[in-house]
Amino acid sequence: MAERRVVVASAVGLHARPAALFVTAVTKIGLPVTLTRRDGRTADARSILAVVTLDVKCGDEVLLCAHGDDAEAALDRLAELLTHG
Amino acid sequence: MSPVVVTAPLTGLIVPLSEVPDPVFAQRLVGPGLAISPTPQRQTILSPIDGRLLKLKPHAFIVAEGRTAVLVHLGIDTVLLDGAASSLIAVEKQIVRAGEPIMFWDPILVEAAGLSAICPVVALDAPADAVADLAHGEVVAGAELFTWRERIYG
Repeated sequence: MAERRVVVASAVGLHARPAALFVTAVTKIGLPVTLTRRDGRTADARSILAVVTLDVKCGDEVLLCAHGDDAEAALDRLAELLTHG
Repeated sequence: MSPVVVTAPLTGLIVPLSEVPDPVFAQRLVGPGLAISPTPQRQTILSPIDGRLLKLKPHAFIVAEGRTAVLVHLGIDTVLLDGAASSLIAVEKQIVRAGEPIMFWDPILVEAAGLSAICPVVALDAPADAVADLAHGEVVAGAELFTWRERIYG
């Protein structure tokens, strides 16, 4: 399993627009990815509803997890997306 | 599942999502649906479906029932207004019925701030073909907007 801890840069947090871009990127990768907050709440990163409901704010640290052959490279790309808002 | 009828949260002119001046909505990355160009007057914004008011912000809200979740975004980039165009009626997490008032909202104030007041109403986590029977032309708040045929996920 691959993991990345990242700090979310989007000024409005992971709300409609940034969440949609993030979920679209996850869906393109085609691997199951989870997004977990520091308090342990976790979401399926392929669902906009799940990601938005997680209520991640700008500056929050989140944990990305993925399984699969290309998980390391996939999480590098997703981490890049989240840390550049 | 039985189809869910999504009703108009506000009064205005229906326009396709492709005309929303925000590529993320226009390319349907948030989900399929419609947008409403609001009639320029202070409006009472209504819930589009029965469900729980999962998220409530002055510029947007989500009502969800199981995996059927509808996002209403009141104008584009309106998070910048910090609530200046809105006055909340409902509270987050509340159970609401379709047609129940969520907030008062004034598109005139949005446009006066130089922002687009167009309102996307979209089905979250839905494939493009899940939305059918799209309404056309003028729509009155509470009237049928589109039908969500399937709850497909994952």
